[in-house]
Amino acid sequence: MAKTINLTLHVWRQKGTQDKGRFEVYKAEGIDTDMSFLEMLDVVNERLIKEGKEPVAFDHDCREGICGACGAVVNGRPHGPMDKTTLCQLHMRRFKDNDTITIEPWRARGFPVVKDLVVDRSAFDQIMAAGGFISVKTGSAPEANTVPVRRQDAETAMDAAACIGCGACVAACPNASAMLFVGAKVSHFGLLPQGRVEAKERVRGMVARMDAEGFGNCSNHYECEAACPKGISVSTIARMNREYLSSELAE
Amino acid sequence: MNRVKSSIDKKQVVAATGLFLILFVVAHLAGNLFIYGGPEAFNGYARKLAGLRPGLYFVEAALLAVFLVHLDATARLVLENLRARPVGYRQGHSAAGGSFASRLMPWTGAAIVAFVIWHLRDLTFVDRAGPAGILPDGRGYGLFGVVYNSLGNPVHGVLYIAAMLAVGTHLSHGIQSFIQTFGLVGEHRLPAVRRVSNGLGILIALAYSSIPVYVQLSFGAFK
Repeated sequence: MAKTINLTLHVWRQKGTQDKGRFEVYKAEGIDTDMSFLEMLDVVNERLIKEGKEPVAFDHDCREGICGACGAVVNGRPHGPMDKTTLCQLHMRRFKDNDTITIEPWRARGFPVVKDLVVDRSAFDQIMAAGGFISVKTGSAPEANTVPVRRQDAETAMDAAACIGCGACVAACPNASAMLFVGAKVSHFGLLPQGRVEAKERVRGMVARMDAEGFGNCSNHYECEAACPKGISVSTIARMNREYLSSELAE
Repeated sequence: MNRVKSSIDKKQVVAATGLFLILFVVAHLAGNLFIYGGPEAFNGYARKLAGLRPGLYFVEAALLAVFLVHLDATARLVLENLRARPVGYRQGHSAAGGSFASRLMPWTGAAIVAFVIWHLRDLTFVDRAGPAGILPDGRGYGLFGVVYNSLGNPVHGVLYIAAMLAVGTHLSHGIQSFIQTFGLVGEHRLPAVRRVSNGLGILIALAYSSIPVYVQLSFGAFK
């Protein structure tokens, strides 16, 4: 027999971009502790729908911790209290019976709230479009051994490529800075020989776009690294800073 | 300065000017420690430094310019950061170990600005040959006497130590931020950089703070 718990939720409700928004209190009763956090919200929403009320809007897709769609600030922490875990992979066994849980959307000028817990993260798409890619000649796949990659570079690039673009770094940053995200992308591409070709334009383009989207400036609190569900290191920010300076000096 | 447009440009201006200011703080401390050598050693050092004029005016002007550029760039960054989150969280939480030094940077910085103004009025722009340099034994001790008369006052001493705590706290985050903002070390060395930075901040604060304590303890010798 699965264990069940009762919870009190303080959930941010906001009708749309123009609405001021407010917290509303909901009871979540008989929650199976094997449920994920999103499944718990599903249960609450089922009840709200039955009562003829508007369900709580939240983003989700794969629910396997790899897509980057979900995310809310739970008790002050993006993706909740578990390290290196997305909200969909957070299970209710992490909470105690009669806990009160505060659920808020990502808060940043670059991520305006669309509805309730859903924020518009298209700013990240804009940043990616400003250089987060490699322009390759398409055609048949080249022989893999023609471009040697150092083992350490491959590993570090892969670590940076683990970024799922969920935006928890921005949500956690006291300055709502997106530098961990951009640092991860700059590292991911820039560490590989295929990405070196456009490294200078990439870092300049992505940083300019990041600034234009209204994100803040990193002041080295490293809250982003602690919040990141994929454990992206702040050394990616250091690499971005270094690459940015060298692109300026090369001008 | 037209090229300083992006977030990283501004951060690197702060870091570069910060490094200059860190070096100044260390050099100033080295000079201050001559106080332990007594009036001759301390005033002798001050005379040697004054003997470097007019070249010293150039260094002072550069220092002032660096100080103002540091303030200007940080003020812009802080204002942008405030604008970047128009609606705050109801519930705050720090998962990164809660470094108070990083969050207090604008406040310790503001405290240092206030201190520098007071400090210059108190010890630099005074007539050293005048009454400010005369200790209770009735003799003039020049700059040494000025320092003793100021820091011998318990209120001044406590304010000075409070300001040095602000300097130490500011530097404990500032030194590691300089390393990170220029991307000088990779992932594996970052924890060591943090420890060294925190250690240097504490060391500098303690070394400066020892001076008013020493002045208080040795003030009686000049009665």
